[in-house]
Amino acid sequence: MAADKTSKPDKGKGTKLLKKLRKQWQLQLVALGALVLLFLFCYMPLFGIVIAFKDYTVNMGFAGIFTSKWVGFKWFEQLFTYYQFKDIFRNTLVLSLLKLIFTFICPIILALLLNEMRVSGFKRVVQTVSYLPNFISWVLVYTIAMAFLSTDKGIINEVLINHGWIKSAIPFLSEPKFFYGVAVFFSVWKNSGYWAIIFLAAISGIDSQLYEAAEIDGASRLKRLWYITLPGIKSSVVTVLILSIGGLLGGGMGGSNFEQAYLFGNTVNYTTSEILQTYAFKTGLSQGRFAYATAVDLFQSVISVCLVVTANLVARKTTGEGLF
Amino acid sequence: MRIKRKEKEAVSRRKYKATAENLIIDSVVWILLILILIITAYPFYYIVVASFSEGYDFMRGGVYFFPRKFTLFNYQALLSNEKWIRAFGVSTARTLLGTLLTTVITCLVSFTFSRPDLAFGKFYRFLVVFSMYVSGGIIPYYITLRNLHIVNTFWVYIFPAMLNLYFIMVGINFFSSIPTSLIESAKLDGASDLGAFFRIALPLSTPFIATLALFTAVNQWNAWLDSAYYVNSEGLRTIAYRMMTAINQTRGQQSNAGGDIVATATTMTTQASAMVTSMLPIMCVYPFLQKYFVQGIMIGAVKE
Repeated sequence: MAADKTSKPDKGKGTKLLKKLRKQWQLQLVALGALVLLFLFCYMPLFGIVIAFKDYTVNMGFAGIFTSKWVGFKWFEQLFTYYQFKDIFRNTLVLSLLKLIFTFICPIILALLLNEMRVSGFKRVVQTVSYLPNFISWVLVYTIAMAFLSTDKGIINEVLINHGWIKSAIPFLSEPKFFYGVAVFFSVWKNSGYWAIIFLAAISGIDSQLYEAAEIDGASRLKRLWYITLPGIKSSVVTVLILSIGGLLGGGMGGSNFEQAYLFGNTVNYTTSEILQTYAFKTGLSQGRFAYATAVDLFQSVISVCLVVTANLVARKTTGEGLF
Repeated sequence: MRIKRKEKEAVSRRKYKATAENLIIDSVVWILLILILIITAYPFYYIVVASFSEGYDFMRGGVYFFPRKFTLFNYQALLSNEKWIRAFGVSTARTLLGTLLTTVITCLVSFTFSRPDLAFGKFYRFLVVFSMYVSGGIIPYYITLRNLHIVNTFWVYIFPAMLNLYFIMVGINFFSSIPTSLIESAKLDGASDLGAFFRIALPLSTPFIATLALFTAVNQWNAWLDSAYYVNSEGLRTIAYRMMTAINQTRGQQSNAGGDIVATATTMTTQASAMVTSMLPIMCVYPFLQKYFVQGIMIGAVKE
């Protein structure tokens, strides 16, 4: 930034700029501080991406990023030939898409239900309680999941067995085939209430005269829902959809795909729970294979960009609005 | 666009008739909402019940609504465990300091970047947006942190979080909605740029600040990954990290086929008490901030 401040391409313009800078020195000082933070924590890590193509090891330090040997696509080849690669790749895509769909639709349904609730006290209670889970960490969500779903002390298994509906406990948290369902359920559980706030606010912004007019014309409640409420919240729906598409591989509106897969995944269900992010994390920070893990991460980002572009195209085709 | 809800509710109440359609819809709505309420609220209630239950007795099962053998032992065990106490201290410290710094800095920066007459303003805003969408990934990030020598210090919890990029964008939106004439008139009265921020902009931005502070505090309080990977001194572990290790212990016992039931029995209920304790601060704060953060979320999410 210092270079920008002193550069004077045109003298008249330059002195004017200098005057402006002097006048708003406080603001520029704040901006400078922000730039330092941005550089340290956002832009410096960007340089590090090159180690995905280099023979970088843990003890090389920051300078090693530039001095280490180039190895081309070695790490990517290693990733693509890794025997679990297919599973990991599939899980990444399937989980992201499932979560995008469900964590998007459920809050809308919740908002519509809340809107149709006539007892405003009860409505407020449900609303307040429903966004409570948004404020607890995934660690606590997993503790709750264990308390309810584990085989030896899970309350669900206990009740099912006591009633004689099943003979032996269902391993919800370890059997691979249950992972997608469990993951989607808890994402919805954690985040629906939060996003419903936005849709509810959008619903409350719809002109009440529309409803009155429709009622006079004899439109039934379902018809009013279909022809007034839903079109009325369309723009918020699209905005939220686009927001969540932006974070698709991050888990969409369900928040952290990574944290969830990391906590809910274990050695038994890894065939469905391991995703690119957790794999990068484990190989990188736990096993110290920095260069390889960066390559995995980079591959993930590339997929993410492809998905966002595709999803944006679809959103634009179907709703007429897009992110870019 | 908004604040017509009361009016609308009044209208619908006036026109309500007990037709078949209304009855069916209302009962469906009631049933589904009660179901949702149970699914969301009961897990929390159950954890509270577990936290007040005697460990061995709880393991026998059948405890659903009230502790069969009431005890405060779990809380006593938790509060006499130095590791947990220390973790509470660390989490409290990072939440207080982190929230304060992040809120002040993010607010100040977004106000600055929102000024229309700011020299290089466009460039600054571009840098923020760019880093929102492009990141180096965890390993380069970790290498950077190590290179800055903040790994394995308390500051690794604080410094990287000081700029919240998402909230900077929200804040730029928010502060741009404050009329420039207000700021200008303050400056005519002799206030500096920052003076105008503190005297004019700040008092007008309660919903934004409340939302930002609440989310930062929640993130800080709930953070466990940084405590697991960027820190290896036991004295710096956070409460969420302790919860994580407690879970991993239980998981380990489960996979040992039968395992050590005695240890499991006490960890299950102690974990519940740790959970209740760690949720308590958030539960205490959020009813008060609730009305602000509904507004705050809207600033960020709804285009009008």
